[in-house]
Amino acid sequence: MWLYFFKLAWISVRQTPIMSTLMIIAVGIGIAACLVTSTIYMSLSKNPLQHKNNVLYALQLDAWDPQEAYDGPNDMPTQVTYLDGIAVLESDIPTHTVLMYKSGFAVLPENKSIRPFQSLARMTTSDFFPLFDVPFIFGSTWSEEADKIPEQVVVLSKQLNDRLFNGENSVGKQINLDGRLYKILGVTADWHPRPKVHDLNNGAYNRRDAMYVPMSVGIELEMYSRGNTNAWERENVVTFTDTLQSEHIWLQAWVQLDTKKQMEDFSSYIENYIRQQKKLGRFQRPLKYHLNTPSEWLSKNNVVRQDNRILLWLSVIFLLVCLINTIALLLAKFLKKAPSVGVRRALGASKKAIFSQHLYETLLVGISGGALGLTLSWFGLWGIRYLQPGLKDAAIMHWPTFVMALCFSLLASLFCGLLPAWKISHTQPARYLKIQ
Amino acid sequence: MLNMDQIKKVFRTDLVETYALRDFSLNVQEGEFVAVTGPSGSGKTTFLNIAGLLETFEAGTYLLDGEDVNSLSDRQRSALRNAKIGFIFQSFNLIPDLNIFDNVDVPLRYRGFNGRQRKERIMNALERVGLGARFKHMPSQLSGGQQQRAAIARALAGEPRFLLADEPTGNLDSLMARQVMELLEEINEGGTTIVMVTHDPDLARRAQRNIQIVDGQVTDFQLGPIPPAPENDRQSATPYA
Repeated sequence: MWLYFFKLAWISVRQTPIMSTLMIIAVGIGIAACLVTSTIYMSLSKNPLQHKNNVLYALQLDAWDPQEAYDGPNDMPTQVTYLDGIAVLESDIPTHTVLMYKSGFAVLPENKSIRPFQSLARMTTSDFFPLFDVPFIFGSTWSEEADKIPEQVVVLSKQLNDRLFNGENSVGKQINLDGRLYKILGVTADWHPRPKVHDLNNGAYNRRDAMYVPMSVGIELEMYSRGNTNAWERENVVTFTDTLQSEHIWLQAWVQLDTKKQMEDFSSYIENYIRQQKKLGRFQRPLKYHLNTPSEWLSKNNVVRQDNRILLWLSVIFLLVCLINTIALLLAKFLKKAPSVGVRRALGASKKAIFSQHLYETLLVGISGGALGLTLSWFGLWGIRYLQPGLKDAAIMHWPTFVMALCFSLLASLFCGLLPAWKISHTQPARYLKIQ
Repeated sequence: MLNMDQIKKVFRTDLVETYALRDFSLNVQEGEFVAVTGPSGSGKTTFLNIAGLLETFEAGTYLLDGEDVNSLSDRQRSALRNAKIGFIFQSFNLIPDLNIFDNVDVPLRYRGFNGRQRKERIMNALERVGLGARFKHMPSQLSGGQQQRAAIARALAGEPRFLLADEPTGNLDSLMARQVMELLEEINEGGTTIVMVTHDPDLARRAQRNIQIVDGQVTDFQLGPIPPAPENDRQSATPYA
């Protein structure tokens, strides 16, 4: 019977081409608007560390200006000073502790056919990889000793390894960075969390890390941060050593605390550290620190801005308006066909059969509208990628979104069709038989 | 076949209650050809709609083939209507979007016949009414008489035992009307029970039995057909006089 209903639906759609086209356009535009904004919203609001959300913490310490609170989320700095970072690193309470900053090198490839190029590097500690669950395709990270005594070693990203070594296992080979040779210890898999929750200070959607180098090497080589650095005190900072001793905040600190006891002990450790520092004249603001889960961190850093949320709601409202218009058009169309329905009822169609027949027509409109919506969404997202390169990674429709859109269009069409189909199936057939 | 007892049907608005049928009783035997006459607004069509299970009623009992229809669900009433009742309307009521083949196909679809059975029944019914060659035509491509014959084919395709005709010749010229009437008589001779509502006393005379409805009640019940009218009273519009 469903084939018969689809045949009737197709005949009906063909009989009223303008009205049917209007309905398909209305559903299509509504779905496209909703799909584009929800794709962006979902990409922006995704927590790539959800699986470790209850054990990972981004550390905030309030060592800011005693006269004026930090202008940022919860009035606390989002990065830490080198002094405070080292103090955190010295604690053996966390399962893993990561201190890091963004820097870069000039890469001088051994292969002369590849021209030298600048590349971003994450200067970090060895715990970076287990803490953020970074997968390796070759080799592994450096030893803990390299965090204390600088060793010229490096872990490459898959992309850089592909570029320099055609994807071959490069572990044990050397790479020339800024004129120095670094031994390659490992190559990560294609790891690129979006948003870049581990370093939101330098943009949630900017370029991925090309390589990872022990932070101790960066300190030894006096490599400045290529990310954000903030300061509040008028200090005479001239040399790199001055920077290390200053109140400049430029490092990101993360800890993994697996148990409640670890959490309590680490909190005590931080509180004691702040009290100790207060005695030395630092931390002049009220004792304040915060351990943020990845989801809290994303929220505090406004990765999803308020206008994104408003836009999402507006698109949902717009879709509803489109659907309500479609309902009105369907209702008008179906009621116009009431005499034919009266005849069908007289010839033995039950209310259920009439209801199903009309629901199939709304499904046909919905599927067509959904297909149009998907096409428009594809163009919409392409336009966003073209106009807003910063959202290049966010404005991508994934398979789940695609499937969701299809289901959504079916649901939307069912939503549109329920009332008109119910209404037409419950009309009194006798009323229309005389006026056919 | 059809047994109505003390049927009451009321149409209500906010202000007015109109009794379409009151204490309406009628018994139609299998194989009868009954003509129902009466002035406009007397309740003829309401009777036909109730008889065809298209409308419900407030009081009384209606047995169709011994089955009390008042206790049936919509699905059961629809199935009963589909299997046992055929409709012929004054304005043909062919579905304009479908060709003649598909129009005749409509009741068969709801009956659940397979494709081969449907095709066989459709072509037989169309051949019977003389439209076998026009099954691909749209209703708008046929004359009034042809459309009514297509509607009769649609009513016959499911081989109903009970045919309800509401002014079947009302929109036809005299020649077409005669052809349609002859077709109905032929169908009745085949054993199908027919109840035909008409304004036309000459048509009514051709039925085996006549009843008249006035103000929702059977007021004139005859066992036989109406006797021929005097020559000067005859309606010259129909050839049956």
